[in-house]
Amino acid sequence: MRISHKWLSQYVQLKISSDRLSDLLTSAGLEVEGIERLGEKYDGFVVGEVLSVNKHPNADKLSVCVVRVESAGRTEGTGVQVVCGAPNVSARQKVAVGLPGATVPKNQHDPDGKPFVLAKVSIRGVESSGMICSSYELGLGTDSAGILVLDPAAKPGTPLAEYLGIDDIAYEIGVTPNRPDCLSHIGIAREVAASLDRSLRLPDVSLREDKKLPISKAVGIEVKNPDACPRYTARLVTGIAVAPSPSWLNSYLTTCGLRPVNNVVDVGNFVMLEYGQPLHMFDFDRLEAKKIVVRDAAEGERFRTLDGVDHQLDGKALMICDGKKPVAIAGIMGGANSEITEATRSVLIESAFFEKRGIRRTARKLGKSTDASYRFERGTDPNGTRAAADRAAALLAELGGGTVISGAVDVYPRKIKEGRVRLRVAHVNRVLGSSFVASDIPKLLTPIGIRTQSKGGDIFSCTIPTFRPDIEGEIDLVEEIARRAGYSSIEDKMVSTIDFSRKPFLPSGSAMLRDALEGMGFSEIVTNSLLDAETLRTGWPRLVEVKNPISKDLSALRPSMVYSALQTVAHNANQGTLDLRVYELGRTYAKSQNSGTGTFVKGYVEEEVLSICMTGKREPNSWDSKPGNVDIFDLKGVIATLLGKIPLDKIRFICYDSRSPLTEQTIAVEKNGTYIGFLGKVKADLLRVFSVESDVYVSELSVSALVQGEGHVRKFVSPSRFPSVHRDLAFILEKDVTMESVEAQIRESAGRLLRGIALFDLFEGKPLPSGKKSLAFSLDLNSSERTLTEDEAARVIDGVVRDVRKKFNAELRSS
Amino acid sequence: MSEPADKLLRKIAAIRTDATNAASILRSKEDLEKFRVEFLARKGRVGELFDDLKTVPVEEKPSLGKELNALRSEVENTFSEAQTKLEVGSIADAQQIDLSLPGRGVKIGSRHPITQTLDDLQRIFVSMGFSIADGPEIEDDYHNFAALNFPPDHPARDMQDTFFIADDVLLRTHTSPVQIRVMEKSRPPIRVVMPGRVYRNEAISARSYCLFHQIEGLYVDRNVSFSELKGTLVAFARQFYGQDIKYKFRPSFFPFTEPSLEMDITCFLCSGAGCRVCKQSGWLEILGAGMVHPNVLRNVGYDPEKYTGFAFGVGIERTTMLRLGVTDIRLLFENDMRFLKQF
Repeated sequence: MRISHKWLSQYVQLKISSDRLSDLLTSAGLEVEGIERLGEKYDGFVVGEVLSVNKHPNADKLSVCVVRVESAGRTEGTGVQVVCGAPNVSARQKVAVGLPGATVPKNQHDPDGKPFVLAKVSIRGVESSGMICSSYELGLGTDSAGILVLDPAAKPGTPLAEYLGIDDIAYEIGVTPNRPDCLSHIGIAREVAASLDRSLRLPDVSLREDKKLPISKAVGIEVKNPDACPRYTARLVTGIAVAPSPSWLNSYLTTCGLRPVNNVVDVGNFVMLEYGQPLHMFDFDRLEAKKIVVRDAAEGERFRTLDGVDHQLDGKALMICDGKKPVAIAGIMGGANSEITEATRSVLIESAFFEKRGIRRTARKLGKSTDASYRFERGTDPNGTRAAADRAAALLAELGGGTVISGAVDVYPRKIKEGRVRLRVAHVNRVLGSSFVASDIPKLLTPIGIRTQSKGGDIFSCTIPTFRPDIEGEIDLVEEIARRAGYSSIEDKMVSTIDFSRKPFLPSGSAMLRDALEGMGFSEIVTNSLLDAETLRTGWPRLVEVKNPISKDLSALRPSMVYSALQTVAHNANQGTLDLRVYELGRTYAKSQNSGTGTFVKGYVEEEVLSICMTGKREPNSWDSKPGNVDIFDLKGVIATLLGKIPLDKIRFICYDSRSPLTEQTIAVEKNGTYIGFLGKVKADLLRVFSVESDVYVSELSVSALVQGEGHVRKFVSPSRFPSVHRDLAFILEKDVTMESVEAQIRESAGRLLRGIALFDLFEGKPLPSGKKSLAFSLDLNSSERTLTEDEAARVIDGVVRDVRKKFNAELRSS
Repeated sequence: MSEPADKLLRKIAAIRTDATNAASILRSKEDLEKFRVEFLARKGRVGELFDDLKTVPVEEKPSLGKELNALRSEVENTFSEAQTKLEVGSIADAQQIDLSLPGRGVKIGSRHPITQTLDDLQRIFVSMGFSIADGPEIEDDYHNFAALNFPPDHPARDMQDTFFIADDVLLRTHTSPVQIRVMEKSRPPIRVVMPGRVYRNEAISARSYCLFHQIEGLYVDRNVSFSELKGTLVAFARQFYGQDIKYKFRPSFFPFTEPSLEMDITCFLCSGAGCRVCKQSGWLEILGAGMVHPNVLRNVGYDPEKYTGFAFGVGIERTTMLRLGVTDIRLLFENDMRFLKQF
């Protein structure tokens, strides 16, 4: 909402700076988001009076003028000396003078007309302390041949912006949806008057009515749906001459960001911005049967609004009709069939109160928000329609020379009364932590139109004006009291009430995952959880789609974090970063059968997922090594290390997994026999979708499975005080025997003395026959009770060798 | 002692100090040569003193000559010591390792700035006795709007452009529905912060993104007051933005709180003078808050005559951008390593 400083000062004495007014509005909850001084570009320009003109001693075409630029009373005006090149300058003229420091909007000697700053200069030996400007130079017109000559009545020293009537200041106020009353100058003025402890001056509306024909004889109004239109007020003005509005009206509207049209349309807009009551102006002669009927639209009814758009309405829209046809969509926009034209002579002013929900519903349905609908859907004052209609009629008579037909038609079957709210001072103090006393209450509330009546003790009955639909209960009055007193008047207290009896819930598990991954060189990413539904539909039957996406490529919630990782890989590859180690803790989303457990909405699940992604070089290049590219074992190692940091029970990698449609070389991860995620190499066709050219390895793990068991403290195992026996064993095996199965056999055969086992070599090729491989293990035997003897160790090793040979048809490889 | 002799002695002392200092910062062969030329060359500073010796009265010459010779051998010793040190240092052993080679790279990751802000905020609120809770991003209309006192068809809903999943199911537009879920599950006293991801159906630009993060706070108990809300927010802002910030509270509107407020602090980029970031106002909005609306308390079965509470919400992206000076929100979701590596 744009507010004009000058206009506002019609209703409340301001005489304060724009900054002060801005602070005052903001602290009343009317946040000033911007201040625009409309005449700012004419800072340093004043009205001057040419006192004398003499020929320049050294230049034929120049004159030396003395110009008075201050009002006569202030200084005994000798005036300033200005050298002027215009042929039309002469004594006693009133002219526009730019003083040193002012910026001339257009330089007529510059091919692009660029602005320039004035300074005190010497022109051919004569000092010049300013410039008399042409209308071109001021940006007011195209005439650059001579200086702009002003109205002889203009007073010297008047700022040029003031002379031009553009010395106004516009405030852009962010009016919150609960304050429809502040969508008007009077509403804002009421707040300002209250803050400044000054009185609010409402406009004085004097109507001279033509009593010959009362309006009730001239027009009939029928409201068929009084729930949707509780009040319909109309006035009629005849004999109007449609013409441009006077300059005061034009500049008020322009300051507020509205384009002046003609006196009739402008009066409608003016009264809306003044009272907050939207009006509609009908060309009365174009209304058939001289009737207004307010009715619900027929389902599918068509109507063309005055902006030329055709609308199809549903049965819930409210229409304003004449005797035959619809002429407006109530509260939103009128039709071309009854709009004001040059030929209009009689105007029917509609000043109605429409129920807000209906207007909002239809406005949204039609995708049409107007200044009128914006106000109606927030709630206008049902008891303000008559005053606005009267004001508009008086202005039409004044500006358009019209005759106001006697009386108003006012269909208002059930008067909407002012509400009453009980207020307890003790409650105010309880909520605010303040110490107000009963006598404070009327002082704070009365200036904003709320009447208070003491009910004894600290209880008041407050009468709420109908322009404040937001005040429904006691808490709303508590807010008004805090707002009026000023938030800064309430002390900043902090009472520490930490409840040490309960352990705060802190999900620190994810912090541990982050720490570990960052230590291993992974950077955290945060990605968009919205993806393109089209590319996902086939693979993900439980995909969650957005019904109203901003764009096609952000139309579904991600079913897997792998897509987000690939987007990151692709983006960075485009920027030249090919080696990437990233992780993300985020959610995946799916439809489900769940019935709404309190954790999730019925029919949907979200899962907290840890995604890890690697691509490019295994390590950074250095001057003595050129590391190869990462492969699945790099990622497997990372995950094994990460899981090793967590006090989890039993983790297993399962080397076959068909669950992930996105990867090959997939390995499933199980915890206590339950699937918790996978790792693998992204399939080539998926890489192509993201235009990624290098191999990418990804993993997704369920975070809840990883951080579960938190709070457990891992029990320690005492390091043995006795020496270990190390043995290395290499077996020659069929190629298709897995390492895992051999290791399992070794563990089983070695029994409880085996404290550690590690694969330290894998070998294929000559001298081994084809189809064979060698796996070399390092075994660590130890007892926590005694030093193992050579014999004991040998017995264990022999058993291992015997069992592995037998089970896998293996041979022991001699070193 | 004669004046020339006195002068010479003072010069000797000065050169002694200068040479010791100069030797201590020798780092290369080039430095060594410079040192030699300055002090030990025939026309060097020590050599020149021997010329000065001629000006000294004859009876004082022997003792001063002795001083001069001592200085020369001291500086020569300093030089050769420095030379030895440099050679041993740069050629570590017989293999002649060039220790100026760069170290081998070790990778260390980085934490996303959004997470860093969230971590910092959570740490502050946990230290004030708040617990942490979370809730679903796919939310129903009831928890996101209705229970929070947004009536159906109310213009307040326009403040938050919504993505819909189904008629009654949407992507939460704020973390406030978690307030409702927490209160539905427990009884006062409740003191909890709720971080999370929220969505807005807004075109993506430098200033807005289709999703962002918030942290929501809720405190409900007997006698929780607006005054205490202000005190808590001031304590938070001082911890997060600095002890000496200036702040102000202004009335605002949220359907689920009343009275509602927004908190501004002096713009820390221009110290309140007015700049592009604070839109020339000198103030930066850092959060919204208010007293939990009695209708919200009633909706979860709390008696507003018995309990009062406050709630607040902080935008994480905005906070992060202000802290880092980032002016384009999209940078936070692009995950360009050249950006992330800086944190």
